[in-house]
Amino acid sequence: MTYHYNEAFENPDYHYSETLEIDRSRERNPSFHQNRHDSSLDDDSLYDSYEGHSGRGQRNQDYPMAIPMASMQPGFRYSHSASGSAVPNTNPYGNPHTNPSFEYEPELAYTSPSTFHAMDGPYMRRSSDVSDGGSFSQRYNRRQADLVYRMPSSLLRLDSKAETYNEDKYKQEEKLIKNLASMSSGERVKAIQKTPKTMKEKRDIRNKVLMEKTKKSVSSSTQINCCTQCMYKTALSYQRFKNGLSEYLHLLQLWQKTLKVIGGKFGTSVLSYFVFLKWLLTFNIFSFLVNFSFITIPQFIASGPNNLSFNGLELLTGAGYFKKTVLYYGFYTNSTISKTENNSSYNMQLAYIFTIGIYFIICFFSLVYSMAKSFRKNFINPQTYSGSAVKLLCIWDFNITNEKAVKLKQSNLSTQIKESLSEVTHEVLNLSLKQRIARIAIHLVVWVASLGIAAACCAGVYFLSRNELQLLEGNKSELENEAATLVLPIVVSLLNLLIPFCFALFGLIEKFQYPRHQLYATVIRNVCLKISIIGILCYYWLNDVATSEKECWESLVGQDIYRLIVIDFIFCLLGSFFGEFVRRIIGTKCCKKLGVPEFDIARNVLDLIYTQTLAWIGIFFAPLMPAMQIISFFIIFYVKKVSLMRNCQPPRKVWRASQMTTLFIFLLFFPSFTGVLSVMAVTIWRRTPSKQCGPFQGLTSIIDAVSGWIHILDSYSSSKWVVWIYRNLIGSVHFFFILTVIVLIITYLYWQIIEGRKMMVRLLHEQIINEGKDKMFLLNKLRALQTSKLDPPKGEQQERSSSSYQPSRQAALQMTASLERPFGRNGRDFYAESSSAGIPEKTGLAPADEEGHQPGISETLALALRARQQAEWEMEDDDDEDFRP
Amino acid sequence: MGNKQTIFTDEQLDAYQDCTFFTRKEILRLHGRYQEMAPNIVPMDYTKDPDVKLPIQLIINMPELKENPFKERIVEAFSEDGDGNLSFNDFVDMFSVLSEMAPRELKAIYAFKIYDFNTDNFICKSDLEKTLNKLTREELTAEEITLVCEKVIEEADMDGDGKLAFADFENMISKAPDFLSTFHIRI
Repeated sequence: MTYHYNEAFENPDYHYSETLEIDRSRERNPSFHQNRHDSSLDDDSLYDSYEGHSGRGQRNQDYPMAIPMASMQPGFRYSHSASGSAVPNTNPYGNPHTNPSFEYEPELAYTSPSTFHAMDGPYMRRSSDVSDGGSFSQRYNRRQADLVYRMPSSLLRLDSKAETYNEDKYKQEEKLIKNLASMSSGERVKAIQKTPKTMKEKRDIRNKVLMEKTKKSVSSSTQINCCTQCMYKTALSYQRFKNGLSEYLHLLQLWQKTLKVIGGKFGTSVLSYFVFLKWLLTFNIFSFLVNFSFITIPQFIASGPNNLSFNGLELLTGAGYFKKTVLYYGFYTNSTISKTENNSSYNMQLAYIFTIGIYFIICFFSLVYSMAKSFRKNFINPQTYSGSAVKLLCIWDFNITNEKAVKLKQSNLSTQIKESLSEVTHEVLNLSLKQRIARIAIHLVVWVASLGIAAACCAGVYFLSRNELQLLEGNKSELENEAATLVLPIVVSLLNLLIPFCFALFGLIEKFQYPRHQLYATVIRNVCLKISIIGILCYYWLNDVATSEKECWESLVGQDIYRLIVIDFIFCLLGSFFGEFVRRIIGTKCCKKLGVPEFDIARNVLDLIYTQTLAWIGIFFAPLMPAMQIISFFIIFYVKKVSLMRNCQPPRKVWRASQMTTLFIFLLFFPSFTGVLSVMAVTIWRRTPSKQCGPFQGLTSIIDAVSGWIHILDSYSSSKWVVWIYRNLIGSVHFFFILTVIVLIITYLYWQIIEGRKMMVRLLHEQIINEGKDKMFLLNKLRALQTSKLDPPKGEQQERSSSSYQPSRQAALQMTASLERPFGRNGRDFYAESSSAGIPEKTGLAPADEEGHQPGISETLALALRARQQAEWEMEDDDDEDFRP
Repeated sequence: MGNKQTIFTDEQLDAYQDCTFFTRKEILRLHGRYQEMAPNIVPMDYTKDPDVKLPIQLIINMPELKENPFKERIVEAFSEDGDGNLSFNDFVDMFSVLSEMAPRELKAIYAFKIYDFNTDNFICKSDLEKTLNKLTREELTAEEITLVCEKVIEEADMDGDGKLAFADFENMISKAPDFLSTFHIRI
């Protein structure tokens, strides 16, 4: 609705430019009426304008006042529509309720070469009007003079009426500017930015608003004080600072150019993968900064020398030399670090737990935020179109700038359209019961098979890892041990690489009604596989490693995760080499039928989600895991980019980029992040930390560090509130219980509201359709009447009009005279005014009824117009109600 | 940074910043792009708001627009005189609307303008045909084209007047979430 609000800027302008107004009312008079219901700022005065104008119109034509407008209308109308029919786009009745919000559109009409009225004059005049930047009052005065000049003195009564109207108008504008001025600067900027007008106009509005603001502040500063001025100044400098900051943040944006190139060549769908990658990278950079500054740097101060040897294999296994570095949990001390003699000390235990805890909380909120934003943006409307309308008008990807890509996209589009057309011809597959059952059976079998495969993989991974744990106890050489640890991650990565292909093969057996469903099914299966593998690994870590009485089990887990990430990274590189490069060689050299591969967005994004999940789990056991993740994402970005540019072609299928991105963010949140949180919770609350190493050595559980600290705090009276919060909010079950209940209630309420809205939308939709039908019906009726009226021979018409009294005949003559002018301004004026006067006001219609000449037509016309008007209003009211919160 | 002051005054930059979705830096960059298209015509100094317009032929040869099948319509939709001549203000406006930050409503308005080839405030059949031809490089037969156009109108036209008004268009757009990301040109 803000949009409509902005609209109101526009309207006043129109009222001050005479020619414009008339043009406008002729063109799209009906919708103009509508607008007043819509824009809350344009109240009745706007409506009055028509009265005012109609009065003037009469004067210009030198009519006696009592002439019934409606009686003249039909004839004129006919001629108008006759000329209009030659130009299909003039729609005499417009679309009564089509688009109230599209008010600014007349500008377009003026610039259009195809509309048949003079287009330059009014528009140019208006823009110059605006650009010379006169204040409203100035224009207002000029207008006033115009009016006086044009009006015969005998009609001063009306003149004064017009004056009051103009005053109203002026007030309205003032109100609008004030309204804008009263907004906070951020809101105002947003409102102005959103205005669909040319820069000049926007700047003009902005200047006026600013002027208004300064005026106000000057007038108020007579009574005040430097305090508000000071405030104002700080606000201003804050604004400046914010602008400057956002500028520098823009500078920080990575890969802006690369992304542009990728988007230009491959379109939005592939781009979404890289944007996702970048987004994950920022997560990791943030967590690295936090961990490094709050955990690692203090540890550096306290750490001793590392005398383990380094032999290269460590880079793969993460063991050996790295065991005694800040990379792993085990290296951190449990002592308080104090360099100087005075009291300031650094409690490593608390730092460790709070840093990681706060990082996860921030992650949680930012994930929820981006998820909600994405949902709001992309699922505004639950029923998404899959029809051809969207295919045609929304499908073009303006990002694409590469010539080849454009051509490819175009040919893809035409094949798509052809396909969809062939679908239309034999649309619904009428499946017999047998076929349907067969189909469902196939789905079931495939699902069971894929879940079975996932379960088998999990079992395999679990036994392998348990074996490995025992293997470590066996006495072999150090090197052999280290190499043996690599077996598990390699197996896991292989599974991750190969099983998806297996799932893709299932796609050949299954038949889906929509290709979209197939995509969703594959994604869900892959997610099941990956998450269950991670889940079983977590189970192994928390259940077997943590209770295995090994020295420093946290570091062991950290090493495992390190290996998994490194090996997965290597497989990712290999995958893009074999999956894309070799595949392209085969596709172009050996087996031409295969062609150039496409970039598989879903698989790649799922891989990212998988590694990110591992990295999140790893943060606790190896605080510098994000650093590795940063490096690997950086390399992946470039490798993928090069491989994409060299080997791939733009995807042929329609990829609902924004919906899929939403889905991926959701996946990142739901199984992945929440899973990580639960693993963390078990580690912190339920597992005993190892006895000889790490910051929490000697405690029964990690959370004891916090409760111990609270216990200490309890003795200080100044920090009682922390203790209170901990005891009553964080540590209490009741609080969480109540919180959950409240959240559930709110959710339920919102759900109900949504249901109500959905119903309303459906009703309104039906109403719109009905309105359209009504309109068509009435229009047809009108047309029929007009033709039947014009058909009878002239003599009869003469007779009938002569039977009525003199003035009306005069009017008829006048009218024909005005019609003879080839759409001069007067003619148009006349049409506009007569119709606008006739439509809404009962008083305007009353004379026609009373006098009763040409009863059939004028009455029907009046009825029709009134009915239409009423329908419009009703609809508008409904609309308003609906959109009002 | 040194020549920043000579191109725009601070006030102008503030105004641009308030009226578009760009930062100062981006506006300066846009000016650079605008200037480099016709270095002889466009002055470096914009402090006095010179009345300079570049013809459509220059604008549509920008790499960002060159391959776009709708390039002429885009430029025309944003030009103040309707003939496709763009002043710097129009130029900034254009990329502001096509930027990532622009809200859906604004984008919808200009997208409608772009697809409304004959500028009659409705997307009618002839507009759709033209769109279709641009989208597919005229690879479809006339029959297919009419079929598709009919289907589009049937689907999206809510009030049954046989053409798409802005309300219809907006309603359709609201159901196509990808529109926001695809109606976007990176500068």
